[in-house]
Amino acid sequence: MSTDWLSYLPLMLRAAGTTLWLSWLAMLLGVVGGVALALMRTSRWRGLRIAALIYTEFFRSIPILIVMFFSYFGVPLFLGRDLSPFAAATLALALHASASMSEVVRAGIESVGRGQWEAAQAFGLRYWLTMRLIILPQAARVIVPPSVGVFITVLKESTLASIIGYIELTKTGLLIRESTDGGFVPLLALAVMYFAINYSISLGGRFLEHRFHAGRPAPGLA
Amino acid sequence: MDYTFTLRTIYPYLGELREAAALTLALSVLAIVISLAIGTGIAVLRRSPSRPLRLLAGAYVEVMRNTPLLVILYIVYFAGPSIGLRLSSFQAALIGLSLNSAGYMAEILRAGLAAVPAGQFEAARSLGLSGVQMFRLVVFPQVFRTIYAPLGNQFITVILASSLASAVAVDEVASWMETVGSTSFRFFETFLVAACVYLVLCQAVNLVRIGIGRALFRSEAMGR
Repeated sequence: MSTDWLSYLPLMLRAAGTTLWLSWLAMLLGVVGGVALALMRTSRWRGLRIAALIYTEFFRSIPILIVMFFSYFGVPLFLGRDLSPFAAATLALALHASASMSEVVRAGIESVGRGQWEAAQAFGLRYWLTMRLIILPQAARVIVPPSVGVFITVLKESTLASIIGYIELTKTGLLIRESTDGGFVPLLALAVMYFAINYSISLGGRFLEHRFHAGRPAPGLA
Repeated sequence: MDYTFTLRTIYPYLGELREAAALTLALSVLAIVISLAIGTGIAVLRRSPSRPLRLLAGAYVEVMRNTPLLVILYIVYFAGPSIGLRLSSFQAALIGLSLNSAGYMAEILRAGLAAVPAGQFEAARSLGLSGVQMFRLVVFPQVFRTIYAPLGNQFITVILASSLASAVAVDEVASWMETVGSTSFRFFETFLVAACVYLVLCQAVNLVRIGIGRALFRSEAMGR
């Protein structure tokens, strides 16, 4: 009856690393996609604006779980080759995260005053240079704090990768539970580990928010 | 790619879809109502004069916001029997979903209550309003206005989150998609149909929220 739970700790810690890696990768892709979508949303061309809006609204209105199923079972039918659970999970999480990130980035871009655009134009800067040198650095202070929230959401959503058979933290906990007496110690351990990870990240986020709103100049402009 | 998209292949499963959609709806509505009740309690506790109670309520919110729903669902589902609670899949999912959502509801309500200036409470008291009157006539209308939009978002979050109930064997829409997809191999069609169900539910909530919001808040000065 007495299982040596501590002997499973290294396994769980390694699995936590897997979860972090999966979430981080998905977040990275989500940021890239989110910036692209936000640029489309704030674009001059109506077609681009509408396309980005439809993408964002679509992914914000369907559960990540069915995106996950679709990317694991459906996308291979389209590609003609199987996706690994890791690739499918990353894809699903990134598709979802980019929709959330696009809202965050758009809010950031819109928070930069009209005058900045006009001044950049007066200096003769083109769109891309204005974006890169003037707008995005200032938008960053508005973008970074909520991005931490998006990352925590991605981390929590990454648990769903266990459902398509990717062995990350949740799946590891479930497997340990099955191979032991089926008690809920492994599940409790899961909850504690996720909480520890997410809570540390959210504390880090609060610290960032503090720094960014302390009236300092935006990064890159100092 | 020799895959022909045809919705006809999933006609036979549409009866099950109706039941699945009804389950999704029932689960979401119940979870919203219950979590709103629990969340209100917790938001009130966070303003309690007793420090331990405040800390406890704050801890609840942090735990729920930082623990994945799937893990909470597994704990409720699997731990129930080991403490002598026999829960059906639906009950377990409802409890897990409500406990989780309550953390977010509490946070929304806390922000709503915090947005009411202290002077409003003092003015109400100096007018001689009773506790109930103060809440009904002064506090609630102001809180309601602040929480209105985030509450609508939380409703949508709960609908989307209810899809995780499929992991504890509730036959709702996500579970329908998984089962029908893997028996018929029509993943595109099932995905599209399941996505549409959620899309319609979420956008309906959204439109109702916007419509009621316009009707309610139009008459008042918006430049508060």
